[in-house]
Amino acid sequence: MANPTKDKIKYSILKVIDVSGFKVLDPPVRLLFKEEPQKQIRDISRYMLLPIVFVFACLAAWTVLGPNHKTKSGEVPTPTRVWDAWKDSYRFHEKESEKEQAFMTTGEDRGAEVEKIEALIQKQEGEYAALEADSQSIAAQAKEKMESEIAPIKAEYDELKALSFSQKKERKSAEEALAQKVANKTAEPQQLVTLIKENGIKSESEKEELKLIKTKIDLIRSNPPKEVKAAQLAANKLADEIQHSKKRIDYLTSGNREVKGDTLLAKAADASTQLNTTTDGGEAYKQAKSLVSNTEKAEKTKGQQYPRSASIVWQTYRSLITVIIGFSLACLVAIPLGIMCGLNRIVMACLTPIISIFRPVSPVVWLLIFQIIIGAFFPDPEKHPLFLFLNDQANPLSYFQTNPAMIFSACTVAVCALWPALVNTALGVSSIDPDHLNVAKVLRLGFWSRLFKIIIPSSLPLVFAGLRISLGVGWMVLIAAEALSSSDGLGKFVWDEYQNGSSQSFANIIVACFVVGIIGFFLDRVMIVLQRLVSFDESASL
Amino acid sequence: MSVELKDVSVGFGTPSNRYEVLKDVNLKVEENEFVSIIGFSGSGKSTLMNLLAGLVFPDKGEVTFKGEKVKAAGPKLGIMFQNYSLLPWLTTYENIELAAAQVFKDLSKKELTEHVDRYIEMVSLTPARDRKPHELSGGMRQRASLARTLSLQPEILILDEPLSALDALTRGDLQEEILNIWEAERKTVVMVTNDVDEAVLMSNRIVPLTMGPSATLDTPFAVDIEYPRNRHTLNDHPEYKRLKTEITTYLINLNQEDKKGSSMDSYSMPDVMPKNFTPISGRPTLRNKFTQPH
Repeated sequence: MANPTKDKIKYSILKVIDVSGFKVLDPPVRLLFKEEPQKQIRDISRYMLLPIVFVFACLAAWTVLGPNHKTKSGEVPTPTRVWDAWKDSYRFHEKESEKEQAFMTTGEDRGAEVEKIEALIQKQEGEYAALEADSQSIAAQAKEKMESEIAPIKAEYDELKALSFSQKKERKSAEEALAQKVANKTAEPQQLVTLIKENGIKSESEKEELKLIKTKIDLIRSNPPKEVKAAQLAANKLADEIQHSKKRIDYLTSGNREVKGDTLLAKAADASTQLNTTTDGGEAYKQAKSLVSNTEKAEKTKGQQYPRSASIVWQTYRSLITVIIGFSLACLVAIPLGIMCGLNRIVMACLTPIISIFRPVSPVVWLLIFQIIIGAFFPDPEKHPLFLFLNDQANPLSYFQTNPAMIFSACTVAVCALWPALVNTALGVSSIDPDHLNVAKVLRLGFWSRLFKIIIPSSLPLVFAGLRISLGVGWMVLIAAEALSSSDGLGKFVWDEYQNGSSQSFANIIVACFVVGIIGFFLDRVMIVLQRLVSFDESASL
Repeated sequence: MSVELKDVSVGFGTPSNRYEVLKDVNLKVEENEFVSIIGFSGSGKSTLMNLLAGLVFPDKGEVTFKGEKVKAAGPKLGIMFQNYSLLPWLTTYENIELAAAQVFKDLSKKELTEHVDRYIEMVSLTPARDRKPHELSGGMRQRASLARTLSLQPEILILDEPLSALDALTRGDLQEEILNIWEAERKTVVMVTNDVDEAVLMSNRIVPLTMGPSATLDTPFAVDIEYPRNRHTLNDHPEYKRLKTEITTYLINLNQEDKKGSSMDSYSMPDVMPKNFTPISGRPTLRNKFTQPH
C-alpha cells in the first residue's frame, strides 16, 4: 500500500506548499495521492469551493450594483468592463513593444518584416471593410427601426403643432376684434385684459404638450440600441490596429533608426565628394561643416532608443524598481542600526526618541521633505551627471528613465519602511536566548564571531518578520508617493487616469487597483518564503 | 586539587532586599574525581554549576581552578547546560564544529572534521550527524550537547542536571554512556542531579546541598563501590543499598526541617476515609452496583 517514491514526491510537494504559505492547496494534493479522500473533499469544499463561491458572489454583486451609481466619470464599471480595460492597456503595451522592435530592426530582416505586416494590413483592411459594412447596416437598421418608432409620435406632434398654430391665429384675431371694440367704447377694457390672460394660459399649455412629445422623440433618438455602439467600437478597434500596422511599417522604413542613420551618412558622403571637388573657399567650408555634423548625427541616430510611451506594464516595472531601491535603502540602514540597538542599551536609549517621534509621521510629509532636500542636489536634473549616466542610451538602466522624482519617491519608501525593520531587528537581537550567549562565553567567541555565528542567526526570523512588514508598508507608501510626486509608476498611472477623465478612466483606475493588490500579494509571499527559510523552529519544517 | 570553592556566597537583589542563593559553600574536587551534588529543585544547584564554569561570580569567597582564580568562562571548564543550548539553526555536526573550531584553531579542515566525527561517534549520534536540533529527540539533543562539551577536551566536565529532562529508559542509556566516557578519559567530573540512584550509580562522592535560600554543602557521602558498576547487579550490592537509604533519609529530613522552619501554616485536612469498592459477592463486573459493606 505504501509507496515510498510516491510518498516522497507527495511530501516534497506538501513541503513546498507549506513553505510558500499556500496552505489552501494542501487538501487537493493529498486528494491526488488518495489520502483520506473523504476528509480532503470536505476540506476542499469548505476551504476552497466556498471561498470561490463567495468571491463570485462579490463579483456578481459588483456587476449588478455598479452601473446603478452614476458618477461624473460615468457609471461604475462592471468587472467585464474592467477586464476589457486591462486587455486594452495590455494591448497598448504590446503595440509599444512591436513598434520598438520595428524601430530597432536592421538589415534584411526589415524587408521581410515589411512584407509580413503589409499582408497583415491587407487582411485587416478586408476585415475592417466587412466590419464597417456590418456596422453601417446595423446602424441603418437601427435607424429605420427608430424612425418607425418615431414616425407615429412625429405625426401626432405635427398635427398638434398645426392645430395649435391655427388656434393661436384664431385667438389673435378675436383679441384684435375685441381691441377694436374697446377703442370704439363698445366693450370694457377689463374684458380685453382677461381675454389676453386666458389666451396666454391656453397657448402655454399647448406649448407644454408639444414639448413633452418632443422629449419623447429625443429620448428614442439619443438611446440607439447597444449593438450599434458595439459594432462601431469593434470597427474602430480594428481601424486602430490598421493604424498601428501602418505605423510599424513606417518604423521599419523611413522611421527606422538605421535608415535614418544611413540617410544622414549618404548626406555626409555627398558632402565629402563635394568637398573634394569644390574650388570655392566658402563652399568648402560649408561642405566640411555639413560632413562633420551629418556624421555625428548619423552616429547618434544609429544608437538611438525607441521613445516608448508609458504603458501599464512599464509603469509596473518602474514601481517595482522604485520600491526595491527604497526597500534596500531601508534594509541598509535598519538592519545595522537595529543590531546596534539590540546589542547596546545606550544606543537603544539614544534612538528610542527618534524612532518614537518619526515613526508616526505621514508618508506625504516625508515626500515633501525629500522633494525639497533631493531637489536641492539636482538643480538641473537634465544635465546632472548621475542622470546623464543612468539614462544614457547605452546603459540598460535607461529603460527605467530615472529622474529626481523617482529618487525622492524611493527615499520616502525607505524612510517609511525603515521603522518596522529597525524595531524588529532590535527586538530579535535583544531577545536572544541567554543560553546561546552562555555558549558564546564558554567558547570565548570574539565580538565578531559572536555577532555573526550566534546573534544574527538567532535573530533572523524576527528580522525577516520585520522586513516583511516593511516591504508591505513600502509598497503601499510608494503608490501614494508616485501619485503625489508624478514619479512614473502605478501611482502616477492612477493619477493620470483620474485627471484624464475619459470614458475608460474609471475602469483603468480599477485595473491599477488590482495590479497593485496582486503585486503586493506576491511581494508578501516572497517575504514569507524567505522568512520560513531562515526560521529554525519546528513550524517551519513539515 | 582540581577545583576548589572557598567560602563562596552568591545572592541577588539590592542590599535591602537580598536573596542569598548560596552561603559559605566549600568544596574541593580532586583530579579525576566524579563528584555528584544532590539537592532539591530551587536550592541553587544551577548557580553552583555556573560558579564552577565561570558564568557567575561569587560575591564573597573565591573559586579556583588548579590554584588559579576563575575569572571568565572558557573551554577548559566544560559545562554542559541543563537545557541542551544547541544552536537551533545548525546541524549536530555544525554545532560541534563551531565549538571545536574555536578551541582547536590550528587544526586543518580535515583534522577538524575527523575530530568532530570522533565525538559524534562517541555519543553514538552518527546517524543524526546532519540533522538540526528540532529534528532530534530529547536524548539525542542531550548527547549532541555532551559531544559538543567533550569535543572541547575540557579539563573538568561540569554537568548541570544532564539527564533530568529525559525519560527513564533514555536516562539509563546516557548514564552508562557518560560513565564509559569518564572511565575511558578519566576526567574530573562535577555533576548536579536530583536523583539519588543516579548519584550513587555514577559518582565517587556525593555532596548534598541544603535547602535554599542560603543553601550550603553538607558533609559528603563517599561511595566505595568499585568501577565498572553494573546497574543490574548494583541493586543487590549492600553498600549501594545502605547509601541509598542513608541519602534518602537525609534528604527527607532536610525537606521536613525546611517545612518546619518555614512560617507557612499547615492546613488541616478533612477527616475522610476512602470508600471500599470491593463487591461483597458475585462477579466483580462493572454492571454490579457498588454497595457499602454492612
